[in-house]
Amino acid sequence: MNNIEIGKTANILNYQRLSTEDGPGIRTTVFMKGCPLHCAWCHNPESILQKQEIQWMAVRCIGCNTCIQICPENALQRNESGLLIDRQSCNLCGQCWQGCPTNALEVLGINTSLDLLIKELMKDEAFYLKSGGGVTFSGGEPTLQSSFVQEALQQLCNKNINTAIDTCGFYNQETIKKIIPFTDLVLFDLKLIDSDQHLEYTGQRNEIILQNLRQLIAIKKSKPAAFDLWIRTPLIPGITTTQDNLKGIANFLTEIGVEYITRWELCAFNNLCQDKYERLNLNWQFSGTLLMRRTELEACKQWVLEAGFPPQQVFITGASRVELKPEGEVL
Amino acid sequence: MTVDTMESKFRFSIKTPFHNSERIRWLRDYYFQGVKRKWNNECTSWTTGTPWDFQYDELTFYIVPETYTFFPTFRAAFSQVAHPIKLDPQFWNWSIVERRAWFLKEVMVNYLPQEILPGDLICGARFNIQTSACLTEAETRKHDKLVLGENGARQATFWLHNHGFGNCGATSGHLIPDYPTILQKGWRGVHDDLQSTYQNLPASDQKSSKGAQLKAMITSSTIARDLAEKYAEKCFALSKSEIAETRLVELTEMIKINQKVPWEAPDNFWEAIQALWITHMLVMSDENYPGPGVSFGRIDQYLFPFWQASIRDGMDREFGKEILKCFWIHCNTAYDSMIRTGGNQGITAGYGQLFTLAGMGANAEDLSNDLTFAILEVIDEMSPILEPKPNIRLHRNTPDAIYERVVDMVASSQGAPFLLNFDERSMAGLIRQAEISGQTDLINKSNVHDYAPVGCLENTMTGNDRSGTVDCNLNLLKAVELVLGQGFDLIPFVEPMTGKPEKPVRWGPDTGDPTQFKTFDDFWQAYQIQTKFIIQKIVEVYENSEAIRASYAPTPYLSCLIKGCAEKGLDVTQGGAQISFVTIEAVTYATTVDSLLAVKYLVYDQKICSMAELIQALKDNWVGHEVLQARALHKAPKYGRDDDQADELAKKVMENWTQETWKYKTKSTNRQFRPGMLSWNYWIANGFILAASPDGRPKGKFLSNAICPSNGADINGPTANVNSVGKVLGGKSTTGDWEEFVNLLPNGSSHTMTFNPSLLRDPEHKQKFKGFLKGYVENGGTALQINILDADMLRDAQKHPENYRHLLVRVTGYNAYFTSIGKELQDEIIERESHIM
Repeated sequence: MNNIEIGKTANILNYQRLSTEDGPGIRTTVFMKGCPLHCAWCHNPESILQKQEIQWMAVRCIGCNTCIQICPENALQRNESGLLIDRQSCNLCGQCWQGCPTNALEVLGINTSLDLLIKELMKDEAFYLKSGGGVTFSGGEPTLQSSFVQEALQQLCNKNINTAIDTCGFYNQETIKKIIPFTDLVLFDLKLIDSDQHLEYTGQRNEIILQNLRQLIAIKKSKPAAFDLWIRTPLIPGITTTQDNLKGIANFLTEIGVEYITRWELCAFNNLCQDKYERLNLNWQFSGTLLMRRTELEACKQWVLEAGFPPQQVFITGASRVELKPEGEVL
Repeated sequence: MTVDTMESKFRFSIKTPFHNSERIRWLRDYYFQGVKRKWNNECTSWTTGTPWDFQYDELTFYIVPETYTFFPTFRAAFSQVAHPIKLDPQFWNWSIVERRAWFLKEVMVNYLPQEILPGDLICGARFNIQTSACLTEAETRKHDKLVLGENGARQATFWLHNHGFGNCGATSGHLIPDYPTILQKGWRGVHDDLQSTYQNLPASDQKSSKGAQLKAMITSSTIARDLAEKYAEKCFALSKSEIAETRLVELTEMIKINQKVPWEAPDNFWEAIQALWITHMLVMSDENYPGPGVSFGRIDQYLFPFWQASIRDGMDREFGKEILKCFWIHCNTAYDSMIRTGGNQGITAGYGQLFTLAGMGANAEDLSNDLTFAILEVIDEMSPILEPKPNIRLHRNTPDAIYERVVDMVASSQGAPFLLNFDERSMAGLIRQAEISGQTDLINKSNVHDYAPVGCLENTMTGNDRSGTVDCNLNLLKAVELVLGQGFDLIPFVEPMTGKPEKPVRWGPDTGDPTQFKTFDDFWQAYQIQTKFIIQKIVEVYENSEAIRASYAPTPYLSCLIKGCAEKGLDVTQGGAQISFVTIEAVTYATTVDSLLAVKYLVYDQKICSMAELIQALKDNWVGHEVLQARALHKAPKYGRDDDQADELAKKVMENWTQETWKYKTKSTNRQFRPGMLSWNYWIANGFILAASPDGRPKGKFLSNAICPSNGADINGPTANVNSVGKVLGGKSTTGDWEEFVNLLPNGSSHTMTFNPSLLRDPEHKQKFKGFLKGYVENGGTALQINILDADMLRDAQKHPENYRHLLVRVTGYNAYFTSIGKELQDEIIERESHIM
């Protein structure tokens, strides 16, 4: 784990095989560690910091205290609520998670060599080819480790594997120019059209993001077949789900060139990541937020249609709230 | 509405039958009334009337250890309730096989009543019977000595089971009779062939056992004719009092059909299904064994000409399906065998009248047709119902229409209402089998596409093959235990009646003190020697029941339906089939591999503990060694993760035990042993017999199932799981057995996978699942059973998170292991998952 192999490496959170939510077909999604935004609703909070972190999963722990005995920095303690990690003292030496017999202590972010990663990604080649799938680099933000990602994409392209990046859009334009020749699909997140709100909820203004999207469209205008472009908007109740925001995004997309956008995914809010926050000793402001009703989701879609966005290009994804009709049947 | 009522609402509204006529709804509902029915197909018992007579043949239940304690009761009970048959004056002058043939015919035609349920279109109702062994007093004495005596079959079988080696016994069913021949030339054709074979024998042979066998088969070949005639009479009697015009028309047609088939060859679909059913049900009567593994083979192929003819002549397609649905109900009445004594009114999943749909032809082209789709509709409209069991063959050229139907049916049921079989990998195994056993004249690249699975997923050829697919079930893990115990059981067997531990005996070879082994290779060498021993042992114990069956329990009716028996003049129980293997099904594969991996990791690679400490931990059932157990469970490598190093050892285990298996043949019947992987329910029950294992499993916890990774081990997801399975079967190679495919298990291997329903939630995701199945064709095993995760399983995951570490929850932009999230959120997902479909 600490044993960095020769050649290119990157800090990778994990990679998810048989991923079905990050582009067409069956994919492997590589979650890169580190993100320039800090979205208040982030579903993968463990991917925000670029450095390694450790986490403790109570459900796996058998209470053997091996970790406490091993830790050279005395950064671990146990009380009635579980294992306490003094993240100030911890220097991420790795002894605790390596020594933990049940993997209750886990490291988030593993320095992974390019060769090893490509070898792992190629194991599902048959599934990619048969399903029209491939590999998606997500995160975190894949462009933060751009030279690694570029080389990975290039190698995959050479092997005829479909490639995608899932980006928050906050990157340097020179970076994307290097990556895009080896990318078949860009999943581009557009969360809030109002820049002040964007700053409030993500820690950054959105001008760069909007500009970057214009740039992508410009590339597509010159070379339409260069790559596919999907827009993704997380539906966060009361924040991104306002009529102003959704219509604003719709208008913006229409203005810059809706015909260059294959689809726009409205991703329904879910609250399943609450435990991730707890494990990282963080608070999450959405822990009490309910899943969205189907009618609410439909209303969101209706607004973007009213703004003139082509209906066949709008998709609601991730809807999972159980709802009943008055007579008790599932909607 | 409270959560509770929501639950029951949804539980009730899971997959239900639909689009069935009033006739079929009535027949289906009536069937499920179970013991409340006026009519059923419960076993009746029949005797020669001699005081020594018996019916119950325990040999065929040696592979069902749950029944061991009931053997004396069953034998006595069936004898006690048996009805006497008036014997032919010559009866006791005949050979055993002739007596059996005559006795079966007499019971079926002249003693059992013929019955027809209201609206039923197919005749052939009662077939569950226990018939006399038809032995003389002297024969019974000899038979009983071999079965019940000191060192007899029963004792050897119990010993094998009690000591955790597994179980074995010469078992009925599990083959595909040659039904296509009956449909082509009728029983009359079979009868005439048998006559001429007999007449062409030299006079001396006519008087030999060969002649007796043929005479018995000639008698057997007329049973279906005479029984059908009785049913025609029954239809006639019913028609006399029938007032409904439409039913009268049906009964009149049924008279005609039963006067004709199966003696004459059928000409249309109704006749063909009638001929098929009565021929099939008599196999179960002949074997005194309802259902298990008597399979139909490629029904959408051999029935298709009749389907086409009837459609051409104006049969309504829905009426064709109606005939099939009646056939479906008949197949289910096999369960009436234990309607009053078995759990769930005798309806268990243990019966397997399997039939096969689609699959490739001689030029790798897909053979699916309109009948394939009609049958898929019947499955969908009748489901949930257990029999007959569908198996759908997929391959590289399977059309999208089949894939899409399959995926839709998986999505709308709580799991696939069928098994999937994968042609390329399956056929590679059968080609390999032919080459190893020198039978390329019988199985080769020009005919292997006509294979079909029996029972659950055991691949055989059709109409000429009995490969004893469930006869030997071997716990590979016992070899690891014998290494650790230096040839002794790690924990002595305790006699349940007395509570006394058995005096330790060194059963296996002394492979040396494991604490003195210097390297993992020393351990591996010892493991190989012990594996050789356990295979020898099961072969030796199996020989008992195989030899007894060959001498005392012929099935001459079934022998008429298996090519080779007439030519050789040998009963199918004597190795008469052209292709006659005995399959050793390895149980505990992943537990064994993971145990070897754990020994290597803990003792040799990481030196976390000494061999002595590990052995002590196993003897203590891990109690007091929890940290070491956790390391074995969570830190040691495991099979099923697409980890090339771990899978390499897994493949070595596979090569080792399969090579050893090919070395043996039965002495009494000259049947070659072949390897397979099917674990039925043994992987659960044997968990209570086998000692704790180095992979971290305590005694009492279940073992791994067939070729599946250990529960919870496949943390890299379904594709990694599939890749591991394909790799250990041999993967792909430039010198593959079929195209580039290699398969070390000709019998095939049972692979079960569980998916989250969200993976199939909309058309886009269904397309992805189709891609997954196509990927399975390339990378996976021979057979796949798909479960769609339900809320009950999720609840179980809450209670036993250690078994579900691999369970992923997937929603847009988010992924997490189910067991790693909090209780409340789990509850929410359970609520969601139970309804999402």
